[in-house]
Formats: sequence, C-alpha cells, structure tokens
Amino acid sequence: MDIFDLSGLFLSGAWGTLRLFLLALVGSLALGTLLAAMRVSPTPVLRGAAATYVTVVRNTPLTLVMFFCAFGLPILDIQFASDRGLNSFFYASLALSAYTACFVAETLRSGIAAIPVGQAEAARAIGLSFRQTLSLIVLPQAFRTVIPPLGSVVIAMLKNTSIASAFNNRELISAMRSGIEIRGDMVITILIATALIYLVLALGLGRIFDLLERKLVILR
Amino acid sequence: MIQHTSEQRPLVQMRQVQKFFGDFQALKDIDLDIQAGEVVVVIGPSGSGKSTLCRTINRLETIDSGEILIDGEKLPEEGARLAKLRSDVGMVFQSFNLFAHKTILENVTLGPMKVRRLPAAKAKEEAMALLERVGVAHQAQKYPAQLSGGQQQRVAIARALAMKPKVMLFDEPTSALDPEMINEVLDVMVTLAKEGMTMVVVTHEMGFARKAANRVVFMADGQIVEVAEPEEFFTNPQSARAKDFLSKILTH
Amino acid sequence: MKKITFLTAALAAGALTLSACGQEGTPDAGGGEGAAAGDAPVYEVAEDADFSESDTWEAAQSNGTLTIGVRFDQPGLGNRPAGADVPEGFDIEIAKLVAAHLGFAPEEIEWVETVSANREPFLQNGTVDLVVATYTINDERKQVVDFAGPYYVAGQDLLVAEDSDIAGPEDLAGTSVCSVDGSTPAQRIAEEYPEADLVTYDVYSKCVTDLQSGSVDAVTTDDAILRGYAAQSDGALKVVGNPFSDEPYGVGLPKDDQVLRDAVNDALDEARDNGYWTEAFEYTLGDSSGVEQPEVDRY
Repeated sequence: MDIFDLSGLFLSGAWGTLRLFLLALVGSLALGTLLAAMRVSPTPVLRGAAATYVTVVRNTPLTLVMFFCAFGLPILDIQFASDRGLNSFFYASLALSAYTACFVAETLRSGIAAIPVGQAEAARAIGLSFRQTLSLIVLPQAFRTVIPPLGSVVIAMLKNTSIASAFNNRELISAMRSGIEIRGDMVITILIATALIYLVLALGLGRIFDLLERKLVILR
Repeated sequence: MIQHTSEQRPLVQMRQVQKFFGDFQALKDIDLDIQAGEVVVVIGPSGSGKSTLCRTINRLETIDSGEILIDGEKLPEEGARLAKLRSDVGMVFQSFNLFAHKTILENVTLGPMKVRRLPAAKAKEEAMALLERVGVAHQAQKYPAQLSGGQQQRVAIARALAMKPKVMLFDEPTSALDPEMINEVLDVMVTLAKEGMTMVVVTHEMGFARKAANRVVFMADGQIVEVAEPEEFFTNPQSARAKDFLSKILTH
Repeated sequence: MKKITFLTAALAAGALTLSACGQEGTPDAGGGEGAAAGDAPVYEVAEDADFSESDTWEAAQSNGTLTIGVRFDQPGLGNRPAGADVPEGFDIEIAKLVAAHLGFAPEEIEWVETVSANREPFLQNGTVDLVVATYTINDERKQVVDFAGPYYVAGQDLLVAEDSDIAGPEDLAGTSVCSVDGSTPAQRIAEEYPEADLVTYDVYSKCVTDLQSGSVDAVTTDDAILRGYAAQSDGALKVVGNPFSDEPYGVGLPKDDQVLRDAVNDALDEARDNGYWTEAFEYTLGDSSGVEQPEVDRY
C-alpha cells in the first residue's frame, strides 16, 4: 500500500460523500420547501403538523435520527433495496434529508417573511390560487432572498454526511479510518488530507452559492 | 358627460357592509351599486375607509357582515371560486406590486397563462399590445426595479387589463409617484375610462375625478357621506364634512 | 402493535448502544464470569531498575510516573467500564508487568486512552511513553515507531450465533458480515472475501446488536476481542476458532530508544519464564490451553 493506493481510497471516499450529499440535497430541499409551505398555509392542521415536525426533528441529534432510520425502519420492514449497502445509503440519505429539511424550512420561512405582502396580494388579485401564489411568486422570491443562509445550511449538511460512516456507509471518514489503519505512520497527513477534501468540497459549494446569489439577486 | 355606455346593470353591489379592525369600525353600513361602464371616484380624508372599501371588493379584505356581489354573483369564501372571481376584477395598487423576480413581459403574461390557460405565444402577443398601449413596450425585457415609478404603475395597469377584467379597482394609484409622473398614469386611466371600462378609483386627484368620473363617493369615518356627480360635488357639496374636506384640499 | 413494541425495544437498545459508545459491553475482565476467576496477578516491581541511558525512562523516572497508552473500548483487552477509574484487560496486565520490570508499580502508571488515529502521534510527541493497545506490528508503523514483542498473536476470526453453520471465512459467500468501518478486518473482508456482504459501523457493539437480532450473520475482528463478546452473551454467540490472519500485537515505543526496547523485550521474556504472562492471560481472557506466548522479535 503506498500513497497512490491511498489516493484511490480517498477518491472513492469522496464519491461516497458526494452521492450521499446530492441525494440528501434534493430530499432536504423538497421536504424543506413543503414544510415551509405548510407553515404559511391557511389550514391550521397543516401549520401545526409542520411546526411540530420542525420542533421535534430539529431538536433531535442527527445521530439519533440516523439510528431511527438505520435500525428502526428495518424493523418496520421498510426497505428501499435488496442490497444492504444500497439500503444503508438510502437510510442515511433519508435521515440527512429529514433532519436538514427543518433548517431549510426555517430558513425559507424567514425568506417568506421578508417578502413585501403586496407581492402575494398582487398575485391573488390576478386570480392565482394559494398554491400558485406560493409556488410562482412567494417561494421563488424567498429562495432568492435566503441564498446566503441556505448556503450555510447546505454546507453544514455536507459535513453532516460524515455521521453516515457509523451506519454502514463508505465515505470520506471511512476512507480516513482505512487510511489510518493502513498507514499509521502518516496519521497527520491523512487527517489533513481528509480536512482538505472537505474544505475543497465546501469551498466549491460556497462558490456555487455566490454565483447563484449574484445571478438571482432581486432588485427592489 | 354622464352617459352610460352599456346597459344599466350593476357590476358591483355592496349591501350593508360592515368591517372591523379589532374594535375600530373601518366600514359602516356601506351600500353602493356600480353600474357597468361607470367610473366611480372614492375620495375622503385619510382613515375614512376608502382604501378598505376598495380592497373588500375583491376580498383582499374580508368583511364582517353584509354582502358584496360581483356581476350578480356573491363573493365566495377562499378557494378556487374566489380566485376565478378575482381574475375578473383587476386591481392596481398604490405601491405597484409588480412581481420583482419577473420581467415586465412576464408580469403581464403570468395571469393569462396560469389562470386563463392561454398559450405562451398568444399571451405574449396580447401582453405586447397592452404594453404598447401603456407606452412601455420597449421595456418588456427589463425587471420592475429598472423602471421609474410611473412606468411601473402603467405596467401594473397592463397586468390587470391582461386578464380582461369586468371591473378595475385603483387603490390610490398615483399617491406613491413623483409629481412629474402622475399625469402619465392618469392619462392611461382617462383613456381607459373613455373606452367604457368600469372603474372604482380611490384617489386624491380631483382633476381626474372631474375629467373622467360619473360619480364621486365621499367617505368619512367609514361611512359614505355623500354621492354626487363630480361637477355637482365640487361646486356644491351638501354635507359639512365634504365642505370642510374640499376647502382643505382645494386651497392648496 | 407487535411491530411498535419491537421498534420501541430496538430503539431503546439503540439508545443504550449509543450511550455505551467508547466503553462497549464489558466481559468483566477483572475476574468476572467471562474470565478465569481468581485474584489479580501481582507482578514484582524491580526496585533496582536502572535504564538511565533511555531518555524516555529517565524522564518517567524523574516524574515518578510511567505514561502508557491503552484502549479503553476493547472488552477483555483494554477496557474501562463505566464508572471505573482504571482500565482492565490483557493489554493492561501486559503493561503492568512491563512497568514492574522498569521499576514502576501499578499506581505509578498513568493510563491514557489511545485509538488507531493517535498511537503514532502520541509516541512521537511524548504524550505517552509506551503503547499497549491491540497494536499490530507492521512495516509502515516501524518507519515511525519501534516495537517490542510481540506479546500475543491475534488472528481475525468470526463471531456467529451459537447454532450457525459458518465455520470459516470460506463460508461467508452470500452472508452478511459486520465489522468496524475502516478497520483492518473490514478491509480484509472487502479485499479477500468480496462475495460476503460487508456491513460496517463505527463500533463493534452495533455489529453485535445486529448479530443478536439476526440482521447480520457474523461479526469479524481479532479473536481476542470476539472472545470478550462471546463470553458475555450467555452462550448465544460463539467464536468460530478458525483464525485467518496473523496480527502480532507489540508494545509501541518511541523510535530509536534501543535501551527501552531491550528492557521491554527482556520483561516479556521474563514473563514467559516466571509465568506472569500465563497469569495475565488467564486472569483476563480465560483458559490459556493451546495458547502460547510468541517469541519476541528483536529486529
């Protein structure tokens, strides 16, 4: 085993982290948007359900949410794939999505609050339904308003993928652990390399959000 | 000046409308019929309830009792039927409220495409014609914040007209404008009035009232105090409140 | 309804496992039912020990404390039960008998927890004087630290249900086998037995939970560690006893301290002659029949 084997190890680890991140990104944005929409809906039951979900899940450690998904769902016979590794991948993505969705929802809600009430009034005045007003006018503007804080939420989620290594997922932390086992003489190098890969991924994300912010900024 | 272009048919009917904000009664015993093709200007001191009256007609404000009918149909509760009815009532706001993340053209085509299900090409064609009519066609690809207030308000009128409404509501459409832009908006409104559009206009612009209105409704303390033809109202107001109000604004 | 009960139980178990992270279930290394009963062995402390040519020893001597890095989370080897001040296990006994040879009584030892990631750094920067922590001797590690010993040759083995037909790694095809993420045993399964479905967690206790619930068919790591779990399962689990690797456990030392390395090797040789090694083994891991202390490798 030399340093080149280690770079292969880290490459596959980075891919493991990235695919967890990508699926959870889609899941958390979708669920977070739904929760934010429920929280501003005129129906009290929906508002209450979303508020309860956010309160409960947001205040639960992510590790525990992962436990629920990785050990609770199999007992309820909820499986996503026959392959165990793939199943664990879906459980971890689900846990990350369910957890991060709370933060996406709260961020979006602050964005919705920042939009002048006249925007929604004008939308309703031309005959748009509540759903159309939300999806065509309010949420698109809310998303644009909260791009910077949403970036922080997403970067936090990238780093939170590291918890999945404790639940049968191979990603960067697994690669780091394997690297340390193989090359005990290079512990510090391996730790720094791992940190650097997270840094590069997070900086890349930050850059994407900067571009989005510049491109989608709303003049008022 | 007063000749109704279409048949006598009340498009908007308000019957014993009451509206409260907490303990404060914003609208008191409002009874008002607006005929098709009629232009009604609502004036009154600030806090008199004139904006609230305007906003209840498409239920942006709910009412506590009484009833409002649009073209003979009672204003529905929230839901698809209310949305349908709103699409027949155009509204122009004091602060324009153009959709900030959409271009001028998109602002005008959105309603026809999403509510009336018009194909994109058709909606665009009609929108461009409307923008041409209000004089901002060359700005179609810009965003609202890139336009002056007067231009934005003219776009807002085009946006409302794109829905082919039965009646248009104007809630102080020139109050947020710099003085030099007021006339470009009023000109559009006068043209609209001459074409026979049914309009309810909350405004302080007495010139517009004289030029285009069939009736002036004077409100104070949430009540309709006086209804008269413009010339009659401005030269010979009946109520003490109206006299007082007119003496204050006309001396300036 | 039944499922809900199951879920509650499983989650409770999960929560327990979570709270137990870092100490794992203990097989009562200090004379519990899993290990051979008896009093703790006492190793005679060499009063006249003098290794002053060793910088490490000299510094420890003047401090009055020998600092030793050990595991706190391996039942039977190096484990600190909840609430206990000092760790216990076979590694701990080896550390004590080495310390005695160097002139330090057990109460003069400071125990420091070491894990895979910090053994070499701790030896390099002097945080610890010695490491006795299921520390497999290999060439890469010899680049940066020195090893005395080996004092034990572990082998990767399988922990299975008592009625399992699995008799060795060749039976793993099509079964699921659990180990710790990134560990050498996990890597060996992935590389040499790819037909097995490898499941990895951060701690062995999760693997054992899965084995007990039937979610996995086997747990794999060094036999010494598996023995600890088998011992506390009340006969529900067994170690297959067909090791398929050699993991020579050594005592890690700072690089290039030849005097200290010779001293530790001497201590291990002495332990063979005076029976200390066997006492240590039987006190912590149980019956020593068929187990031999390996020859030290004075490379």
